[in-house]
Amino acid sequence: MDYLLDGLATALRLLAAGDAETFSAVWITLAASGMSIAACLAIGAPLGFLIGYHDFPGRRAVRIAVDTALCFPTVVIGLLVYLLLSRQGPLGDLGLLFTIPGMSVGLTLLGIPIVMAMTALAVEQADARLRLTLLTLGADGRQVLFATLWETRYHLMLAGVAAFGRIVSEVGISMMVGGNIKWHTRTITTAIALETGKGDYALGIALGLVLLAIALLLNLMLAGLRRRAGR
Amino acid sequence: MSGRETRSVLPVCSGSLIDAAAGDAPGAETEPMADRAPEASSPETSCADKPYADKPHADGQGTGVLCARCQVPLYQLEGVVRRHGDRTVLDVPRLDIAAGGITGVVGPNGGGKSTLLRLLALLDAPCRGELRFAGEAVGALSSARTADLRRSVTLLLQEPYLLRRSVYENVAFGLSVRSVRSGRGVRETADAVRGALELVALDPEVFLRRRWFELSGGEAQRVALAARLAFSPRVLLMDEPTASLDEDSAARIADAARAVAARGTTVIVVSHDRDWLEPLAGRILKVRRGQVEG
Repeated sequence: MDYLLDGLATALRLLAAGDAETFSAVWITLAASGMSIAACLAIGAPLGFLIGYHDFPGRRAVRIAVDTALCFPTVVIGLLVYLLLSRQGPLGDLGLLFTIPGMSVGLTLLGIPIVMAMTALAVEQADARLRLTLLTLGADGRQVLFATLWETRYHLMLAGVAAFGRIVSEVGISMMVGGNIKWHTRTITTAIALETGKGDYALGIALGLVLLAIALLLNLMLAGLRRRAGR
Repeated sequence: MSGRETRSVLPVCSGSLIDAAAGDAPGAETEPMADRAPEASSPETSCADKPYADKPHADGQGTGVLCARCQVPLYQLEGVVRRHGDRTVLDVPRLDIAAGGITGVVGPNGGGKSTLLRLLALLDAPCRGELRFAGEAVGALSSARTADLRRSVTLLLQEPYLLRRSVYENVAFGLSVRSVRSGRGVRETADAVRGALELVALDPEVFLRRRWFELSGGEAQRVALAARLAFSPRVLLMDEPTASLDEDSAARIADAARAVAARGTTVIVVSHDRDWLEPLAGRILKVRRGQVEG
């Protein structure tokens, strides 16, 4: 029990002192996750809207594919992205392997299905009177699209926050594509895995506390958005 | 909105005119109109393009006055049939509705009133027969032209949906989607919003900044009506506007209907409340088992 308490005390000291190694992992995590969530929203939200709004041949199959992608193991995504970005891979010339942008590519693949599925659901579940109301107020197709997105804005933000929560706490992709290189691609989760393996619990606990704080913040945001979306 | 919702919005039978706005609806079952008349009037000369205020056709009664420019009734339905699946829900051999005035529509539930209203709102096309609006055969028009015509018609739903915005933004929405064409400025929009709220007896100073969830049912209904009056539609269709309102709110809806009819808007109201409707409407249509009388 003592080693846990000692670890916690040391962790708090590391955080209070602004330990460079600890905060390097935090910033790298936020940078990779931030880039990734921006790409997820830019790609996933319009695609999710298309799936939710339009009835087209094969729509059901697309929905099933997106829902399946939600359960994709992160190590499999990591492996795929690793193979794509490795020197022999088709995107090897870009030199993205073991870089933060490279990690973001993998994390984006993880987050896009979440944003797509939640956006599609939000658009599908929008009040049936919304479209009729917009049309009878004189909106054309483009105006209906933008007004519908605006009406479901809290659900879209909800999708973004949920995807961010998944991305920020992910370990398999970061480990495989980032390589867990200290000061360069070591994220909170990969650092925790490494330090725990080395028996250095203090750094692991400190980073775990940061991750918990991020998770708490995200959950508070989710609760607030759910309340507003449900109104 | 999903395909499921789309299906609930668009009845099964025919080419929905909503889908027409986004391209031809796949699998539409609209039957060819054997006796379709040649193109009535080109868009350039159509009466429908002219603002209603230019038209000296409103007599305040809606009892058969023709549009002065086109010399045709505003709506002409000939041999119109509308089906949901195999079931015929509306069968109208002939119906003319004049421009101007207030027309009431009564009848039992499931009689076809709402189906008629959706046709008149240019949301649905007939499965068979011909619907003309201001002389233009609606089924023969391009999707863009249909969308243009639909902008001059508005429908107040029985349970109106308010956008998740302020009262001001709700009432201004119809103006904002037209602002590119009209070139209307911020001040004119604000004035129109205030005027529309006053028409439905809501104090702009009190209501402009309220959010949609801060309104009672009656206030929400009146805000929804104001949103439709703000852009001065040529035709105002209302589906059971007083169904869940108290007497005072119902009276205010009636006052607003009279006021806009006096300005030349053609008002068509579906209601079960004959005591409310009869003093209001110059003409009453009875819709029963898909047949229209009156």
